Amino acid sequence: MNKTLTAASLAFALGTAMTVAATPVAAPMADKEKCFGVALKGKNDCKAGAGTTCAGTSKIDYQGNSWSLVPKGTCEKTASPTSPTGHGQMAEFKERKA
Amino acid sequence: MSQQDFAAALLDPDLPAPAGLAAWNGSDPAQRFRVYRNNVIVSLIDALADTFEVTLELVGEEFFRAIARLYAYACPPQSRLMAFYGAGFPDFIESFPPAAGLPYLADVARLEYRRIVAYHAADVPGVGAEAVAAALADEATLPTLGMTLHPSLSVVVSTSAVVSLWAAHQGILDLSTVAPDAPETALILRHGLNVEVLQIPAAVGAFLCELQAGASLGRAAAEAMSIDTDFNLVSILGLLLQKSAITALNPTRSPT
Repeated sequence: MNKTLTAASLAFALGTAMTVAATPVAAPMADKEKCFGVALKGKNDCKAGAGTTCAGTSKIDYQGNSWSLVPKGTCEKTASPTSPTGHGQMAEFKERKA
Repeated sequence: MSQQDFAAALLDPDLPAPAGLAAWNGSDPAQRFRVYRNNVIVSLIDALADTFEVTLELVGEEFFRAIARLYAYACPPQSRLMAFYGAGFPDFIESFPPAAGLPYLADVARLEYRRIVAYHAADVPGVGAEAVAAALADEATLPTLGMTLHPSLSVVVSTSAVVSLWAAHQGILDLSTVAPDAPETALILRHGLNVEVLQIPAAVGAFLCELQAGASLGRAAAEAMSIDTDFNLVSILGLLLQKSAITALNPTRSPT
């Protein structure tokens, strides 16, 4: 009988899974961050499929409540003329005049 | 002219324009029908291009639009929800002889479609620590414990590097480092509002598919172990709990 079939080993696995911070099996998205205010008009990321209305619908360049996926750590270094800090932000913001 | 005749003529360019059409300004109704027919098919091709973005990038605009056009004629939408249009497109690609040299193409399309489905899947909360503790307290029933997984969760098993190819086209990986023929298994699930794509070992994919098919924890784990003795049950259970992807624990004493 395979060792994973024993109740005790299953209990150990489930119990351990509960307590340890899970090691993700692999997470290609992990080195991305949502960056607000750096998308050009109509180029914001949002994948909901054909006929849905959110992808590519930001009305102005560098819209403060539109986001793009960018490599981790680069968001707040990306220029955003509408952002009060002058750079992309990790949360929505209200645009200032560019 | 019946509605059926009109619809049939719309989707078959070899059919003549339906009889009985009239144009308000005296122009040729057959010509105007051809314009309308073209708009219909182009809008369907555009819908597929929206959903299968990476597939399009992999083969280029011209090839993609050619195969999308054939698909749109063969399988017009059955629902008004265009977000879900293209469910059969990956299979269509697979059976399309000109795409035979690109074995990864259909699987990348599958991954893209599952992401759309995951995005729109129902919200169901994950089980809490109490439910897990209750299951642990009744240790003898763990081998026959059933697990319901989140409705957004799905697995794409591929003989190609489906996750790496997809990730390379999101700017996450460098495409030049991807070996397209390395088998990969993709896990797609939505956590909160984010659809996530993870690469998982084949045995983990088998484990999840077994659970989805209703197999017990013990049986699913044994199946995964038979594929790979290094199968890490702790790691996948931890991931599922962390992503709130286990939505119910179903204790049962009947053998499964």
